[in-house]
Amino acid sequence: MKIYISGLYSGTSPQPGIGLSRSLRIAYPDATIIGVEYSNRSSGIHWPKFDELWLQRPWEELDLAAYGELITGLLDGGALWISGTDLEALWLASVFPDGHTNLLSPPAAGLSRITKPGVEAHKGLPLQIPPFVSTDHSDWDMHAFCRKHDWRVWLKGPYYEAVRTRSWDQFEAVRSALVKVWSTQRLFLQAHVSGYEESVMLAAYNGELLGCVSMRKRELTEDGKTWAGDVTEVPEAFAASLREIIRDINWSGGAELEMIRDPEGQRWLLEWNPRFPAWVHGATIAGCNLPAMLVEAATGIPAEKTTAQSEEFTRVVLEVPVRSRYPLPPLPEPYAGGIGHSMKHPSGMPALAERLHKLHPHLMSANGSGANGTRAEKPTGVAAIPPSFMRDLAAQDYDQLETPSFLFMDTTAAGLFDRASKLARRISTLDTLVSNGYSIKTNPDARLIKLALDSGFFAEAISLLEVQKALQVGFKPGQVILNGPGKWWPAGLLPKDPIHAVFCDSIADLKRVTAAAESGELRSSIFGVRLRTPHITSRFGIPLDTPEEFRTLVDSVSLLPRASSFGVHFHMASSNIGVRQWWHLYQSMLRWCRSIEKLTGRDIEVLDIGGGWFPDDWHEGREDDFTKAVMHAKATLPHVRQIISEPGKAMAQPSMALAMRVLEIQPIGEDSTEAVVDGSIAELPMYFFYPHRILRRDVATGELQPLKRGKTRLMGRLCMEHDEVASNVELPEGTQPGDVLIFCDAGGYDRSMSYVFGRG
Amino acid sequence: MYLGEGKNMVIDVEQTTRSDVDAGIANWENFAASRISHHGARCCDMAREWITGMDFSQLNAGHPLTGPRWLRKLFKWGPSKWPMHWCEAVQEKTLDCGALGALSHELYLARGVRSFAAQFILEFNDVSTRHWTQTWRAAGSCAPWISEGLIYHEGCAVAVNENEIKLWDATATWWINPKQFGGYAGLLAVRVIGKESEMPGTFSWGEHRIPANTWHKVERATADFARPKPTAKVRRKRGSRATKKIAEPAAVG
Repeated sequence: MKIYISGLYSGTSPQPGIGLSRSLRIAYPDATIIGVEYSNRSSGIHWPKFDELWLQRPWEELDLAAYGELITGLLDGGALWISGTDLEALWLASVFPDGHTNLLSPPAAGLSRITKPGVEAHKGLPLQIPPFVSTDHSDWDMHAFCRKHDWRVWLKGPYYEAVRTRSWDQFEAVRSALVKVWSTQRLFLQAHVSGYEESVMLAAYNGELLGCVSMRKRELTEDGKTWAGDVTEVPEAFAASLREIIRDINWSGGAELEMIRDPEGQRWLLEWNPRFPAWVHGATIAGCNLPAMLVEAATGIPAEKTTAQSEEFTRVVLEVPVRSRYPLPPLPEPYAGGIGHSMKHPSGMPALAERLHKLHPHLMSANGSGANGTRAEKPTGVAAIPPSFMRDLAAQDYDQLETPSFLFMDTTAAGLFDRASKLARRISTLDTLVSNGYSIKTNPDARLIKLALDSGFFAEAISLLEVQKALQVGFKPGQVILNGPGKWWPAGLLPKDPIHAVFCDSIADLKRVTAAAESGELRSSIFGVRLRTPHITSRFGIPLDTPEEFRTLVDSVSLLPRASSFGVHFHMASSNIGVRQWWHLYQSMLRWCRSIEKLTGRDIEVLDIGGGWFPDDWHEGREDDFTKAVMHAKATLPHVRQIISEPGKAMAQPSMALAMRVLEIQPIGEDSTEAVVDGSIAELPMYFFYPHRILRRDVATGELQPLKRGKTRLMGRLCMEHDEVASNVELPEGTQPGDVLIFCDAGGYDRSMSYVFGRG
Repeated sequence: MYLGEGKNMVIDVEQTTRSDVDAGIANWENFAASRISHHGARCCDMAREWITGMDFSQLNAGHPLTGPRWLRKLFKWGPSKWPMHWCEAVQEKTLDCGALGALSHELYLARGVRSFAAQFILEFNDVSTRHWTQTWRAAGSCAPWISEGLIYHEGCAVAVNENEIKLWDATATWWINPKQFGGYAGLLAVRVIGKESEMPGTFSWGEHRIPANTWHKVERATADFARPKPTAKVRRKRGSRATKKIAEPAAVG
């Protein structure tokens, strides 16, 4: 019996070849086991228990047709082949679409049912698929996905690699790298699931499940790979469903279902690998020799008995002699000035992926162009543009427009303030008034401040200059909230009349506020404290991180004027920490408030909560959440009579767009383009934090065309290396220098933090 | 005690002897589960409010059953002085397993999770128990929790449904594996403590059934997983014989 085994890589992210050979050696001591590899850098080729080694040239060099014929000859001659890599299994499925008696690897139809991330075949198993979204969706949608899942998301390649992306710029960098390595745009973002990792490994032949085992990871490498584990039986209910599925997809060969078990015990399927896992011999140690079952089923030759040694296994590091005639290759020199040796994928897996994409593009598609396996609607990659944007932008006079310049979207802005105002009224109760606060710093444009005033907002200021701006627009001091660590700057501008509320940002600030109140310099209806968010890094507010800090806060509250009401303020940008985490923070803050109330004996009458909401997260479908939030606040703090909600940039961001003109368009290489625009990151400093929806105005027709995904980089006018205002976009056909591009969603910090640069 | 520390020690498994769990149970039969006391004053109110508030913040939108591992970032493991009050506990740099278990129990209760104090008898080797005895002696404490290769340990039992519990080792910051094989750090006995009116008569922990308020000897798992499997099926022909060709694009979504 000759058995060819591939996937011999034996580094920290190992392949199963060595484990397969060890298990099969127990079952078939006399078999000739031949290791197959595609790089002499793969340490597994030196495993001494291989009878022979079949070292091929790396995948990028291999003549696939000739290699396919070679393997056909081997299989026809009676040899068995167990593939240890996903991509080789995919390629073999293309060579043998209906399988081969001696090919112990799944057929193409079966593979098509397990592609990530949807893993269609999992239906019937007690598993869920973690939420995911294909990168076919627009950047706008992907940013929303990241926020929804608290930026605990993984960007994954279609076959290998998963990288945690904690921010938008990181996402863009990783996407660019994965697209390049795996030669595909078909990546997907998947939500992280916290829990314990476990797997089910199986062996099947011609659609018959031969055996399966569960394994829980008990030690992991830094990359999350198994280092130790315990092996147990698969519960019969699970095995029964699996048996049905295997029959349905006519599976042959090994497979591994990788899962996470969350704290509630729910299992989430991450992927279904079309091969045995690297820990295959761990199950053999437990007495469950699945490779032997597979070979026995395929050949009819009984396997020797495998004796169970332990239900737990671990790995150790072994040094083995280098195989004669296969001396170690020299270590590649680091690139000049580089760090490390750049040795990833020595067998050329990315090259195989690229070749397979060209040969069999459909075979190489990831499943789930939409989200969580729904294929109902193929995403266009273009974000939806709200109709009010289009109306406001269509009304601009572009012929006379100097660029770059910000465009005020008046009906959009008016609509947002009106909606927020109505929402506040709707969720107010008889004894708790909900109001909005407009954060002047998000955009101090007088038109927006006026809208806030007309819509019943408070003006939330972080400096006395901002207070003065609010007063100039028409706010009364009693409609102003003073906040932040620099609220006394610049001196001498404090209103004489009482303001609505002042929140102390530190104990030192509290003492100054108290002194100013005692001297009559500061008068306010509400005196309060801003709490620093525990466990979430922030420089603002009074910290609670130690018992001493908490005690200091509690003791200091007694200093605040008793004649005024007491309030608490907290603020954390939900767009940074994610929506779900923000709501947890809200609940957490209410608990801290309850503690403060209990320990100080002062009733909390006003809550001021923010903020930093991404517009879609605040304006769309959140009414239930806000209603519950009011109820929760009242239940926790029965004396609360006013809740001031500060939506932050949710009001300002959609209210302006930035128009810029194309200066130059330059083709780069075969299919890429670089265009220079007269805008820059000086006008769009939030470019690194979130994507902007972009339109191009057709000069001839006046039509506003959304930019699709593509291979064009839009580079700003500044002589700064990082001045890039968009990447991965496609300029519509016919775009010329002089054409206007409109960056929507630029009315928040893009506007207020824009700076003068490169203008002489 | 801090089991995690043991991971860094070189242990000769042969030194681990099967100890007399009955003697251990007799030894610790009258040990009450540790409990944090309250001065009945503001000092303890404030400490308790702080630690429960911090625990909720640390949950980070995670599930309430998530173990409060953050405590071990705050407190090293080591000898504690008893009785211990809330205001003292939060000021300590080191806490023993009893204090860590009691705090975890209280934090779970504050989260709205049913929790009970849990006592354990674990087996260790002589090297470990000697080492701990010396450490406690050096700190001016005796170590009644160590006896004849066994140690007394505490954590908490968290209800995941009506009768089913998970056992949280607040010192090692892990959930104890219901499948116990004995040996180094093996769990030999467990007692779940609480008011009878608040507990079911018997708890379910994996395959174990643990009567409330009673020391229960943990049955060792037998490595019987690899019992004989159904014989492999006879070789069957698999559709058409090998056709060497490049596949048409498969219907992959």
